[in-house]
Amino acid sequence: MSSESSKKRKPKVIRSDGAPAEGKRNRSDTEQEGKYYSEEAEVDRRDPGRDYELYKYTCQELQRLMAEIQDLKSRGGKDAAVEIEDRRIQSCVHFMILKKLNRLAHIRLKKGRDQTHEAKQKVDAYHLQLQNLLYEVMHLQKEITKCLEFKSKHEEIDLVSLEEFYKEAPPDISKAEVTMGDPHQQTLARLDWELEQRKRLAEKYRECLSNKEKILKEIEVKKEYLSSLQPRLNSIMQASLPVQEYLFMPFDQAHKQYETARHLPPPLYVLFVQTTAYGQACDKTLSVAIEGSVDEAKALFKPPEDSQDDESDSDAEEEQTTKRRRPTLGVQLDDKRKEMLKRHPLSVMLDLKCKDDSVLHLTFYYLMNLNIMTVKAKVTTATELITPISAGDLLSPDSVLSCLYPGDHGKKTPNPANQYQFDKVGILTLRDYVLDLGHPYLWVQKLGGLHFPKEQPQHTVIADHSLSASHMETTMKLLKTRVQSRLALHKQFASLEHGIVPVTSDCQYLFPAKVVSRLVKWVSIAHEDYTELHFTKDIVEAGLAGDTNLYYMALVERGTAKLQAAVVLNPGYSSIPPVFQLCLNWKGEKTNNNDDNIRAMESEVNVCYKELCGPRPSHQLLTNQLQRLCVLLDVYLETESHDDSVEGPKEFPQEKMCLRLFRGPSRMKPFKYNHPQGFFSHR
Amino acid sequence: MVTFQAHDGPVYSMVSTDRHLLSAGDGEVKAWLWAEILKKGCKELWRRQPPYRTSLEVPEINALLLVPKENSLILAGGDCQLHTMDLETGTFTRALWGHTDYIHCLALRERSPEVLSGGEDGAVRLWDLRTAKEVQTIEVYKHEECSRPHNGRWIGCLATDSDWMVCGGGPALTLWHLRSSTPTTIFPMRAPQKHVTFYQDLILSAGQGRCVNQWQLSGELKAQVPGSSPGLLSLSLNQQPAAPECKVLTAAGNSCRVDVFTNLGYRAFSLSF
Repeated sequence: MSSESSKKRKPKVIRSDGAPAEGKRNRSDTEQEGKYYSEEAEVDRRDPGRDYELYKYTCQELQRLMAEIQDLKSRGGKDAAVEIEDRRIQSCVHFMILKKLNRLAHIRLKKGRDQTHEAKQKVDAYHLQLQNLLYEVMHLQKEITKCLEFKSKHEEIDLVSLEEFYKEAPPDISKAEVTMGDPHQQTLARLDWELEQRKRLAEKYRECLSNKEKILKEIEVKKEYLSSLQPRLNSIMQASLPVQEYLFMPFDQAHKQYETARHLPPPLYVLFVQTTAYGQACDKTLSVAIEGSVDEAKALFKPPEDSQDDESDSDAEEEQTTKRRRPTLGVQLDDKRKEMLKRHPLSVMLDLKCKDDSVLHLTFYYLMNLNIMTVKAKVTTATELITPISAGDLLSPDSVLSCLYPGDHGKKTPNPANQYQFDKVGILTLRDYVLDLGHPYLWVQKLGGLHFPKEQPQHTVIADHSLSASHMETTMKLLKTRVQSRLALHKQFASLEHGIVPVTSDCQYLFPAKVVSRLVKWVSIAHEDYTELHFTKDIVEAGLAGDTNLYYMALVERGTAKLQAAVVLNPGYSSIPPVFQLCLNWKGEKTNNNDDNIRAMESEVNVCYKELCGPRPSHQLLTNQLQRLCVLLDVYLETESHDDSVEGPKEFPQEKMCLRLFRGPSRMKPFKYNHPQGFFSHR
Repeated sequence: MVTFQAHDGPVYSMVSTDRHLLSAGDGEVKAWLWAEILKKGCKELWRRQPPYRTSLEVPEINALLLVPKENSLILAGGDCQLHTMDLETGTFTRALWGHTDYIHCLALRERSPEVLSGGEDGAVRLWDLRTAKEVQTIEVYKHEECSRPHNGRWIGCLATDSDWMVCGGGPALTLWHLRSSTPTTIFPMRAPQKHVTFYQDLILSAGQGRCVNQWQLSGELKAQVPGSSPGLLSLSLNQQPAAPECKVLTAAGNSCRVDVFTNLGYRAFSLSF
């Protein structure tokens, strides 16, 4: 060890000398080169384990030395000093060793550190590389996925299907040989074709647009032309008026009527439209016209702002006037009534021409506040009629249209809401005003399209065309039949009043050739008189004798026998037969109460009326019934059994041929006449 | 109430057995089952027409009479004959002639089975059913007490109580003693009577006039009960001994109402159709 330490001592000395020698580079270089002594290299050579042992040993030696020194010091002595010095030098040497070892340790450490550092650096470099590469890989992967996901716009286009493509595309685009195998090429080719097609279509579109522009311009031109035509046509129309009149083609007149019709209130308008339509379609003899003042009609419909202004003005005026002059309550009420019953200024005139040239003139009015329509009727005949006394009511304007439909007497307003209005102004019923205003029949309301439901008053009843159309034909037919039957009755009454029953030749077969009983009297009687007759109680009780019917009394005579017949004529003659009630005065008074045969006679005339209707339109019913009555009286009187107690021959010898005189428990007479055999039998 | 159309023409007569309703009118007699009628059915059981001589006009059947002992039905009417029909076989056994004008009414005299018939010729004839011959004839109009020439001579109604007979119509309503053929009581009724019947000790009659008249055998008018029709044509009494509480009198005539009298003193109510 000490050799070693001496060896060490030497390097140490040199080393310490080596420091200043550094200044002298040139020499030191060589010296160093020659004397370069690397402890690093020494470190490499030495074994750390052995160094460690050395260290431990040195420390032990030191400790020992110290301890010895201490010992020596403590013992004291002279030798001690040398010993101590010795030991001190030894310990110095040990210290040197320690220092060297320390230096070596440090060098080792440094080396180790350097190595680690290097390695670490390498590792870091690799790590960095790795990171870079990984990053790049990731980046590339992302790119790849992006590329893979990339949807080219071409996939959004709906390309034509493959078959179509191959069919339609020209071969230089489709390039079948190439594209069949290669889907990429195929898609490319298809895209090319798509592009081709689109270009072509774009061309077409541009062409069409330009066409459209052209055509629009043409239309404009033509429109201008037409609008310039209008005034010229008007002037032509004006010029053609005289020609129209000359040729009886009143187009202009019809046009004017339509113009006026626009001012009609809705129900009258419905009536006008429907009747004109019906007249054109079914019935050429119907003519429709509008009368009245159009200006007044226009005046009714002033715009609301004006009327409001007027109202405020008139209110102010009214206040002043009422202070000055109060009209009486009655006059006020009267005015209110007049106001309520006011008619629309326009009215529709309908002329129905019948076969025998008689005309029924109907004028339809509209009562604005009551929302109902009324009608006034007038019958004019081709020749002047001499009215027989009994026929006074037949054609009177008041009653000629009464009960056109059963129960429709036209004396009450059909609109249930009117009742409340009437109560306000004190009108009891419309009956009092009917003569002036016209009759509000239900069929008139229906023709105007107004439908009033029976029980509930509605707020607004609007005019309905379909209602009017559905009733038009029946009503017109009924009106015509009514006029004709009334005229027929008129003529018949004239004859009846002279005691002749006018039986037409085609009804002669109903009666035997010889009829002895004669009609001596035919008068009209009042409703009250009829109800007071003693033999009409049954009819009155059965409700068949209302105040809308017409009543007559006929008297048939033969010899001493007088037969009174009370006749109820329903306005619906001849679809509703007249009803007879008989009273025979001959050997006592016989009515249907006490003589079954009188009942049989009544039933012959009333119940079996269908045989007596005669040819349609059965205007002969009444006269045939009267004639039959005469025949029945004949039979009755002639078949009366002879009273043996009374002297003298029978007043009425039997001239009629009868099979049997009496039949059945009630001993009926043979009232049925058999044609053509000409005998009487029982029914 | 059941209504059904039985005949095309008027029905002049009806009788009822226990099970059947027989109705006759214009020349035919028809039978109906009560059981079916109560079930509201209306199918006729059978119909028969007696052999008529004339074919020009079908004579009516005015009267039907049941003879329970023989189980036969007698019809009489417009052809002036009485026809007997056996109800079991439906054949017409006899035809009794004698009337000169059509027959109005029939009545049965129970003890000696005789049929009385009254007709338009003014005679009441009695027929013996066994011998089928006319036994007795009473010409009512020839008797001065009862004849009323202004009304005619026709016999409209007959009723008999074996020894007694009451008949009326053109002549006055009279009670006759049959064996002596003499009129005993004349009932002072002006209007011709159309139906008469014996009831207990009264005679009920109805005819032209509103009332059902109740007479005592002595000829006094016991009561006049007004009905609702202006003229009455037939009366009907329900006299079943099995049900005394159902005893009603019904009257019908010239109107659409049938009067029902539960107590003979007054009209209880009317059925109308």
